[in-house]
Amino acid sequence: MQGDAVYARTTMGGIKPPPHKHNSLRSRIMATPIPEHLAIPIGPAPSGLSATGVKVGERVLKYQMLSRYKQAGLTGDESGQLAVPIHAPTSGIVTAIAMAAVAEASVQERLCIHLSSDGLDEALPLQSEKDYHALTPPELFQKIAAAGIIGMGGAGFAVARKLHLAAQQEVDLVIINAAECEPYITADEALIRERAVAVLLGSDIIKLACAAKRCVLAIEDSKLDAIAALEDAINSPLLENANVELRIVPSKYPAGSEKQLIQCLTGLEVPAGQYPTDIGIIMQNAGTAHAVFAAVVEGKPCISRITTLTGNALQTPKNFDVLIGTSTNFLFDLCGINRSTKVKSIVGGSLMGHELFNDDAVVNKTTNCLIAGTVEEFPGIQPEQACIRCGYCANACPVNLLPQQLYAFSDYEDSNQLIQHGLFDCIECGACDYVCPSHIPLVSHFRQSKNSINAHRLSMERSQQWQQRFQYHQYRIKKDKDQALGSKDSISAQESVEFAESFATETIAEQESFSKEKASREIAAAVARVKARRSKIINGDPDKDEPPSGDSN
Amino acid sequence: MTSAPINSPFQHSGRNVEQLMQLLLYALCPGICASLWFFGFGILINILLAAGVAIAAEAAVLHLRHRNIRSRLADRSAVVSAVLFAITIPPGSPWWIVVSGILFAIVIAKHLYGGLGQNPFNPAMCGYVMLLLAFPLQMTSWHVPNEVIIGPLRVDSLGIPDPQQLVISPLSWIGLQQALLLSFPFAANNLQGSQALVDGLAMATPLIEFKMAGHSALFAAWEADAAVFARESETAWELINISYLIGGLFLLYKRIISWHVPLSIIATIFALSVIFYAPGSVAIYGSPYLHMFGSATMIGAFFIATDPVSAATTNGGKIYYGIIIGIAIYSIRVWGSYLDSIALAVLFGNFCAPLLDYYCRPRVFGHGKTLKPLQNESRSERSRA
Repeated sequence: MQGDAVYARTTMGGIKPPPHKHNSLRSRIMATPIPEHLAIPIGPAPSGLSATGVKVGERVLKYQMLSRYKQAGLTGDESGQLAVPIHAPTSGIVTAIAMAAVAEASVQERLCIHLSSDGLDEALPLQSEKDYHALTPPELFQKIAAAGIIGMGGAGFAVARKLHLAAQQEVDLVIINAAECEPYITADEALIRERAVAVLLGSDIIKLACAAKRCVLAIEDSKLDAIAALEDAINSPLLENANVELRIVPSKYPAGSEKQLIQCLTGLEVPAGQYPTDIGIIMQNAGTAHAVFAAVVEGKPCISRITTLTGNALQTPKNFDVLIGTSTNFLFDLCGINRSTKVKSIVGGSLMGHELFNDDAVVNKTTNCLIAGTVEEFPGIQPEQACIRCGYCANACPVNLLPQQLYAFSDYEDSNQLIQHGLFDCIECGACDYVCPSHIPLVSHFRQSKNSINAHRLSMERSQQWQQRFQYHQYRIKKDKDQALGSKDSISAQESVEFAESFATETIAEQESFSKEKASREIAAAVARVKARRSKIINGDPDKDEPPSGDSN
Repeated sequence: MTSAPINSPFQHSGRNVEQLMQLLLYALCPGICASLWFFGFGILINILLAAGVAIAAEAAVLHLRHRNIRSRLADRSAVVSAVLFAITIPPGSPWWIVVSGILFAIVIAKHLYGGLGQNPFNPAMCGYVMLLLAFPLQMTSWHVPNEVIIGPLRVDSLGIPDPQQLVISPLSWIGLQQALLLSFPFAANNLQGSQALVDGLAMATPLIEFKMAGHSALFAAWEADAAVFARESETAWELINISYLIGGLFLLYKRIISWHVPLSIIATIFALSVIFYAPGSVAIYGSPYLHMFGSATMIGAFFIATDPVSAATTNGGKIYYGIIIGIAIYSIRVWGSYLDSIALAVLFGNFCAPLLDYYCRPRVFGHGKTLKPLQNESRSERSRA
């Protein structure tokens, strides 16, 4: 297998924040002692849970499947083949199935299987497969799906499902994302440094599974140890049959963002609203590649992941091979946390991470980094000053937006201009916040604007629906009344529906093209009607003696 | 499943508005020092007076607007406006010129439009243009930069000047007194040496003086082997402009300003002056060199037009903004009746900025760019297959 490190071109925008990575890279990846209590998250929501395979009080063995869940929004998987199974990280007794806090980006709590470990770590036998080349893509999917692997980078999309879709769309290129551009996170770097062969073989398996032509592993140029390990591994006999190329990308945040990395490597921009598979590319995280290797070659389900424990409140920051379901406090204690100096716990990196409000939250498959920050590292929210339109944010934006303009429009709540200026293309990377000299929380403003525009759209849709329903209702009543009266000019059911429809669409169209002119015309008409009615009532003659009210429009 | 409140990012570059303003003030120092050397204390009096009035006015308006005075004053934007205003008006201007100009700038041009970040026009230049329209005479006379001889010239019997006679540097105590007298004429009776004040101490910038026909005093001094820093060499304007250029390059190096505005202004003026320069012809438009360094081009390009609030904010817009200002500066100088044109040109650019920003929006990632043809073909072929 041949592979020289090739430098990739640079992308637009981006920032170079201090990486804060060296602390957690000082030691090797360590396995944790088996915690006494684990809470293994199952599924995104209770409703997504298809089956809990275990009962409270039951003893389970390591690698035993506990449950499987379907990811929300998945279609075309009626057989449930690609549902994500959850496995026991160690042997022990199920004590409860209840909600528990999880250390994840977007959610605070999930339904968890609480496991009290017995310390024996008694495991089910694993089925290893030395020659993965002998397997067909469906067999590979099967193995990956059975291992319960989801995207380890953070998005958490079921990998088997993603590969399946990619194979259907006939992708050309697999990109293994080891850029890991965000400050503090070193999980992938440490993983590659120590297990480069496994990561590369996993990448090759991913390539075979989706029948792509090429597989490229992209890594930032600052990760020298990892690059050296990769170059060593690529030239080793273990990878004779594999074919993975190495690409070195400039160290710049957010180089590891999916679409930015694709642009950096290929020069292609994924069109707005489309997925990389639409242009023949699929991207997987390096940690995912490692998990795929473990699943296919060792037959090992995904029961642990590499998580970075870092931050100045920890005495010995390091990377752990953490069992899924381990609590954050347990890990913090292993690193010697100084609780008096810790002011903030963050899950993820310092730029796109989320604050962790409960240190008992458990590690899930997407938890790549846990930060115990001191006040020196994270001084908190600075007072917001006026925007001076310096444009630093626009130069930092990786998708070429104008955050200073978006900020002004979000202040004025001008949703048309916001949409026109590409609000919905914002990837919320936080580069603009990072450089803003006025400490304006731009990303928060944009999130809020996105939410309010979406809410407005939804409410408009709903109000139209309700209006239509109400109009049907009115016409139905009118029709019933007319029928009851036996009136000659009663309209037929068909007619009434048609009329109601036309009326409804008319009013909707009118609402949309609401203009001052139209409004004033309507007011004039209404005034005229009132006048006519009033004069009728007063003297029975509509043509004469109009009331002298203010009637000009 | 409860969604978490989002408040990322947690990290910040540490750069803030105060720092930016501070660095801007530092960058102005070389130019101010050069002015001080050549023109005496007048510029310093202007700066101190303008800054004091600006801070007081800002505090008063913030109080009226029920804003937090302390935190808003800390951003130093009022001081920056005041300094920019003060270095553009002639040293030796009477105090009421400075005070009325800076009050107009801070109260009307800045705060009536909503304060920092909201003003559509450069406040300092609004103040300047108001003064230029209201008091054209005072705004075009400059304190003479040469040494001043105090008292009637005394010569001894041999015709040699008396060495005891005072030849006074503008930076001496008497120079300070003179500058103060020029700024505060009402204080004449209270100051010693008031008789030393000479009337009609006025000169203009080279561009004004020669209306483009002049030569470089710097080169002349060089060729004549004269000291370029000596005040009698009349190299003042050129050296001051070079000092501001150095300050501007410092701002570029520190990435306080982007290159777009200064480069496009200077390039435009340079290009126009090269095109129209015809030495020896009747219509004399001035040499490119004189346009670069003979007037306030460098202050304008690096410090005044780059005011981010009132300038265009998109990178493309900034280039057009600079070109517009460059054309305006050159046109007003050469064909217009105003002598110095930076302020009018910058205000003209401010008018255009919102429009430029609207039409110069950069292409957003993933929009409007077609894929590589090869990629497209192979995709479509495969989808057909």
